Amino acid sequence: MTDSPLTRDAVAELVKTQLAEILEKSPSEIDLALSFADLGADSLALIELVEAIEEQLTPLVSEFHINDEDLEGLTTVQEAVDYVSAKLAA
Amino acid sequence: MGLPIALDVMGGDFAPSEIIAGARRAKEELGLEVILVGLPDRMGDTTGFEVFACSEVIDMDDDPGVSVRKKKDSSLVRAAELVRDGKACAMVSAGNTGATMASALLRMGRLPGVVRPCIVTPVPNPGKNPTALVDAGANAECTPEMLVQFAKLACAYMNAHFQVATPSVGLLSIGEESSKGTPLVKETHELLRSDSTINFFGNVEGRDIIPSPVDVIVTDGFTGNVALKTIEGSLKYIFGEFVKAMGVDENTKKAGETLAPYLLPVMASLTPENHGGAMLLGLEGICIISHGSSNATAIMNALRVADEMDKAGVVNQMRLAIRPDQEG
Repeated sequence: MTDSPLTRDAVAELVKTQLAEILEKSPSEIDLALSFADLGADSLALIELVEAIEEQLTPLVSEFHINDEDLEGLTTVQEAVDYVSAKLAA
Repeated sequence: MGLPIALDVMGGDFAPSEIIAGARRAKEELGLEVILVGLPDRMGDTTGFEVFACSEVIDMDDDPGVSVRKKKDSSLVRAAELVRDGKACAMVSAGNTGATMASALLRMGRLPGVVRPCIVTPVPNPGKNPTALVDAGANAECTPEMLVQFAKLACAYMNAHFQVATPSVGLLSIGEESSKGTPLVKETHELLRSDSTINFFGNVEGRDIIPSPVDVIVTDGFTGNVALKTIEGSLKYIFGEFVKAMGVDENTKKAGETLAPYLLPVMASLTPENHGGAMLLGLEGICIISHGSSNATAIMNALRVADEMDKAGVVNQMRLAIRPDQEG
């Protein structure tokens, strides 16, 4: 376990901001408890989100990468925040 | 001289030979410059072309999103990057449609304000400009707001491609009355009717696709794709039966010889390969999606359309259609 370069709140903000941009919504509409399906995010939107998060985090964590196999297990925004936070702390 | 067109030579049922043959015809008959993107050891003779070498291919049955992330050196991804990096004016592929869409979306990006890109397919409308059917399969589930955006993007496409200044828009439904259809259709009808920037004709039915009273027909991607494939299959069957009937005996052969000069142009006007493929709308670049079974003629026409779209400035027209205050 290492120190994460971002707090959990900062990760949540990052995920919400990127998702809002992709879905053309306001970040305030992105409730952490909502599922991606409820927000209207299809599989391509999720791939867009993954690429955007990787792009934002690579300067902080060299070669930050989200495994495609892990995406199936992420159904809510909160789960995505928890996943990214855990990856950063690993 | 403008930028060349990036052609994914690895995608399609008859790739790479028919794809490269189409590129050669586009070069020789239309004077188009084309970059062949693919695996050099599988391309054969590429004399006279610029080649962009890559090492991977996205197959027809690969998962679109995952394959684009995993196969970063694939011909599809590289073709989209050539457009993103300003080295090509457009990309053309007859490969995996979902992966083509994912490559273009992830590498070129969406135009500001565009929620989801959509696919427009020009449907032959004998004696007139083709009708733009949108969405032809990119988004199975849509919201009314998405359909309104698709209509605006398709109007920009009709304006750029066929110089139709104020395209008329029909909403595909099961009846002309605004009370007919699913909740999605009824809500979309109200939005289209109240949008002063759209020349809304009203609802149209499946029988109004060919021939069509409108320039643009808007629907969700599931319905649009089913409608399109139904038309394709029906036309293929009917043409096949005509040809068979004309060979039954001497009398039908003579009848066929008499009718051929009248029927062949109609058949040609309804043949998909002559219309240059579908286009992905709503992106910061031009992406033409050609049919998986494209032959050299289809690829040549797809390249021709890509060139025409570039020269017509379709991307900027789409940008203005969604955000009228933004000039690219």
